[in-house]
Amino acid sequence: MVSLPEEVLKDVISEVFETMFFTDVDFEECEGGGGTFEYGSETRLVNQKGCIVLKMRIGERFARMITANFLGIDEAQADEIDEDELVDSLRELSNMVAGGCHAHANHPEWKLGIPRAWRIGTEKEDSTRSVSGLGFTFSGQPAGSAALEYLPC
Amino acid sequence: MAYNVLIVDDSGSMRKVLLKTLRLSGFELGKCLEASNGREALDVMEGEWIDLIISDVHMPEMDGVEFLKSLRKMEIFSNTPVVFVTTEANEDRLRRLIDLGASGYIRKPFRPEEIGTLLSRIMGEPNGFVAGRSSEGCDF
Repeated sequence: MVSLPEEVLKDVISEVFETMFFTDVDFEECEGGGGTFEYGSETRLVNQKGCIVLKMRIGERFARMITANFLGIDEAQADEIDEDELVDSLRELSNMVAGGCHAHANHPEWKLGIPRAWRIGTEKEDSTRSVSGLGFTFSGQPAGSAALEYLPC
Repeated sequence: MAYNVLIVDDSGSMRKVLLKTLRLSGFELGKCLEASNGREALDVMEGEWIDLIISDVHMPEMDGVEFLKSLRKMEIFSNTPVVFVTTEANEDRLRRLIDLGASGYIRKPFRPEEIGTLLSRIMGEPNGFVAGRSSEGCDF
């Protein structure tokens, strides 16, 4: 089983937010991001021995802002973004962060799974509103959290 | 020259981003068609001429590798350029895409200029596209 240091996860998240979502986030010591969040996502890296699950939680206001940036929509119209586009963009966010972790792990046996994202409370998915891991903020406000969990097959 | 492009990705948001990126890079678009996986892309191609395909790798139903293999068996599309935009990081798997006949790949996350540079080389416009030629504007 490979493990990824927290610094790698920070670098990957920063790169994805900056390059595709035109947003800078800050990381904080407060575990879990210091808040509870409305959206969840997961992407798995799988090999024969087990899997690494990237779990992310994102707050709605931040999710709307980054989706607007991603799609090239005026931020003033972020509240009009429909739920499908929002969830789809968060799925892509999860996909790219997991892909970045995959690149750092640099192990040929690992395969990237299909990402999932959902609005917490509306799907039969993990309904925890925060994950115990790396918290990040935008403009001083809790924006989300991310964690890598290692699971056996 | 305007090119007909097919964008294949299971994420509708990513298809929109790629389309906007093409416009931003000055790529002269003819028809722009979309599909959410390889199977759907093959269906689209039955009735349309396509000059360039931009595809994801990891997709449900038919992934990018199977799509590329199927495409290369079709005489009419055996030489159509296929560029993969992917989160795939494994060098062996990426090299395999080239061995199977892909024209190139770009790893996500990407900067718009990376797409423009690669496509201009592949489409034989080494001096690049002229930004802003798209009739639908570039408001990215």
